[in-house]
Amino acid sequence: MARAGKFYLGLVTAVIFILLEIAAISLLGRSSTLQNIWINRFSHNVMAFTWGSLNKIQSYFGLKEQNEILAGKNYELFKELQHYKELEKAVQAMAKLDSANLPSHFNYIPAEVTAMGTNSRHNYIILDKGSEHGVKPQSAIITPNGVVGMVYAVDKRYSYGLSLMNEKVSVSARIGREGLVAPLTWDGKGSDHAILKDIPLHLTVAEGDTIRTSGISTVYPPDIPIGITMGSRLIDGAVNVVDVKLFVDFASLRYVIIAENPDRLIIEEMEK
Amino acid sequence: MKNYRYILIYVLMVVVQIFLVNFFPLSRYVLITLLPALLLALPLDTRAIVSMLIAFALGFVIDFFSNGMLGLTSLALVPAALVRGEVIRSVFGDELGARGDELSLQRLGVPKMVLALLILSSIFLLVYIWADSAGTVAFWPSALRFLLSILVSVPACVFVFRLLRP
Repeated sequence: MARAGKFYLGLVTAVIFILLEIAAISLLGRSSTLQNIWINRFSHNVMAFTWGSLNKIQSYFGLKEQNEILAGKNYELFKELQHYKELEKAVQAMAKLDSANLPSHFNYIPAEVTAMGTNSRHNYIILDKGSEHGVKPQSAIITPNGVVGMVYAVDKRYSYGLSLMNEKVSVSARIGREGLVAPLTWDGKGSDHAILKDIPLHLTVAEGDTIRTSGISTVYPPDIPIGITMGSRLIDGAVNVVDVKLFVDFASLRYVIIAENPDRLIIEEMEK
Repeated sequence: MKNYRYILIYVLMVVVQIFLVNFFPLSRYVLITLLPALLLALPLDTRAIVSMLIAFALGFVIDFFSNGMLGLTSLALVPAALVRGEVIRSVFGDELGARGDELSLQRLGVPKMVLALLILSSIFLLVYIWADSAGTVAFWPSALRFLLSILVSVPACVFVFRLLRP
């Protein structure tokens, strides 16, 4: 009881002290302009501090809600960014396609490499375009810099291809634009290396010549650069093979072009 | 008879304070104040609320009859009145109130009285100089004014207290 009485007495004392000080300040403000300005400035500072503190407290308790809103916005922006990235990729691929100066009688579809094997003798490549994008089996997989492989099977959304780093794949190649035509295969020794086989002994191949697709194929468009000759060597005393350094860097391959020959079936029918 | 003498001297000291403010301005760096002594010399059983009301009234009267700014002295004297009880308890001890004695310079000694008056004068002068300068005077001139005023006011307060509570 005594403690409560002491508390109330303290409270009343504090209230009276504050009231007397306010009265004194009020009198002082009225009696002097300088003091009036000072009191006003002081009261403005106190008010600014009070409102600022209240605002900070309010902001602090509103942070959870703000965070949720920001997280939502962040997610929306992320989705938008991904959409624009996809668009940019498509635009870049189309630009590459336009600048590649590829033969016009082929159909071209830009694609991105989804997965690729490089460690075995029968390496594969999976692309992000499938039958719903118009991809058909037996289409060439190329880049403006060279041959990558051939589409082997097609799913609705993906394509499975055999890369040039596969011993089963053979590309009809020509040395220079009007030179000798010979099959080019992978020798299994490295991702940037292949060989031109069945070169007759009497023909000499200069080092540094460009190897291109011959066009004598229903799969590969003509004159796609493949690589450059590195030198030739004799095999079994009967034929020469020419070592070729490939232009395509399989280690950093990401975007490719699927080239489909619309007349392939007609030509193959005629060949029968 | 004793009370009449006390009241008479008290009123006289208020008048002296008004005269000091109006007619004896030593310097703008020196402020002579007797008010802490008048505050300390109030009866010992005076509650803080009553002390503050007396301090406010005292300040109002001083300001009203002097050329000072109305409210300035009250503003400075009310905080000193608020802590008066605590200062008495801290400096002179709790037993003083329990025995029902009044403050006496002779009995309590000059050093303790100087200390109590120094605390009350410091509170009064700090608020007074701060409010009087209104943010227009730099720290060191204000500090000098405070120190010089303390040096002059505390002995004057001891003298006034001796008159009121010998």
